[in-house]
Amino acid sequence: MMRHIITFKRICVAGFRNFFRNSWLSIAATAVMVVALVIVLSAVVLNVATRNAIAELSTNLKVSVYLQPDATKDQINALQSELSGNQNVDQVTYISQDVAQEQFIDSFKNDTKLLEGLALIGTGTIPASFEISVTDLSNMEEVGNIAKQEQYATIVESVSLGKTDVKKTIERAAATQRFITTTSVIAASVFAIVSMLIIFNTIRMAIFTRADEIRTQKLLGATPGYIRGPFLVESSMYGIVAGIISTSLVIVVIRSLGSKIANNAEFIETYALLSDPLNIVLMYLGSIFLGVLVGVISSSLAMNRYLKIKHW
Amino acid sequence: MILLDRVTKNYSRKSSALKGVSLHVENKEFVVIVGQSGAGKSTILKLLTREEQPTSGKIIVGGIDYDKLKDRKIPYLRRKIGVVFQDFKLLSNKTSFENVAYALEIVGMSNKEIKHTVPRVLEIVGLSKKAKSYPSELSGGERQRVAIARAIARQPRILIADEPTGNLDPKHAWDVIQVLERINKYGTTVLLTTHNQDIVQRLNRRIVTISDGVVVSDKAGRSKGLKAV
Repeated sequence: MMRHIITFKRICVAGFRNFFRNSWLSIAATAVMVVALVIVLSAVVLNVATRNAIAELSTNLKVSVYLQPDATKDQINALQSELSGNQNVDQVTYISQDVAQEQFIDSFKNDTKLLEGLALIGTGTIPASFEISVTDLSNMEEVGNIAKQEQYATIVESVSLGKTDVKKTIERAAATQRFITTTSVIAASVFAIVSMLIIFNTIRMAIFTRADEIRTQKLLGATPGYIRGPFLVESSMYGIVAGIISTSLVIVVIRSLGSKIANNAEFIETYALLSDPLNIVLMYLGSIFLGVLVGVISSSLAMNRYLKIKHW
Repeated sequence: MILLDRVTKNYSRKSSALKGVSLHVENKEFVVIVGQSGAGKSTILKLLTREEQPTSGKIIVGGIDYDKLKDRKIPYLRRKIGVVFQDFKLLSNKTSFENVAYALEIVGMSNKEIKHTVPRVLEIVGLSKKAKSYPSELSGGERQRVAIARAIARQPRILIADEPTGNLDPKHAWDVIQVLERINKYGTTVLLTTHNQDIVQRLNRRIVTISDGVVVSDKAGRSKGLKAV
């Protein structure tokens, strides 16, 4: 057991030494990996931001069903239960005429002329309504059609599918999210492949440079693991360093941009999420894991091809 | 200790490096294998270190039957065999001490054990004062003695020396042979290949002559030690 620990320590030391010995190749391999990881991390952050922004905007987008003043309680209950029972409906809130009037007055409390006009007309001007939030914005029309059915024609005055400008913003945000996802997947894949090729060549050159040393190691009785180990440590180092640099870069950008946009309702949740120390640690661990994975895969491919470890 | 039974090694259909070679080396014996370049001497050593596999025939070393030896056990076989090469194969960026220590690091020996073992081994080969020298600062003979120190550091039961004097002048060549003699006296079986007739004559040990992949003569040595120079 003690021998295994000593050997493991020596493999790690040899790997570290090789990483610094091939400094220019290490810088090249790490730099490309940093670019790939920054793209992946940015894509994740932008996806989270747009998703949260869409969710925040969606809370303002509800189906409103305005009711006739003469609708009976039974008729209202019948419509409410059908709306609540629909799978696309998240929540149904009944707003009586009195509550609606209070909300209207509250919204326009600074507009004295409007309120004076409303006082002249009297109470019962603002109709009672149902405010319905949906599970998926694409189903808004379907939910609205429930209230437009023939059987409710006598009690439903009108159906509104939310503010069109908000809906358009949401659709634009959703399209942007899809674009970000697609382009970032393509860009990250390209840079990941470039990074793998560079690491592959770095390890290949290291194998050629150390061909004599490797043959001596074999003849002195080194196990395949002892010979492969330092190469794996070296390529893992690219991933670790690249993971730390890329995450730090993305966090710096989030911090500097975050202070400017964190007051916008759409970004409050995203900024809080990305400022959480646990999430920051997870971002570091995730990018390091990805970097190490790319490094280990590419160096393993190079070793399988050039180390000829099977031919003892 | 070493048994080769009708061993044949073909590198291609047309060329045979060894043709049915049989050889038996006793424990603690010192055997010199002689022959011209391309006779098959190095092939025998490569077969013994399992760098190559025979086309046919049987090889048993220290009770290990190579036919039954699994690939993953090869490193552990090599740890029992010390090897010295004509071109030394020392690592140029390491000192004499570090080169010898390297062989011990591979097997997971602790730093404390290494610090204890390496000076003793360097003393055996007469290089205690050159422990901190790099290979570029040593003469050919000294480099080969470092290589011998590395080969014997793990106290192998067998030492294989493949033309260890090939790159050395007569004086240094003789220094190296004397070190091998001393190691043999300590109880290590030594297998030496050479085409240097002067060394063969003066050593006066068992001589196996190989020509064109075949053992053409196998003469027992007259003495157990070196002839007076």
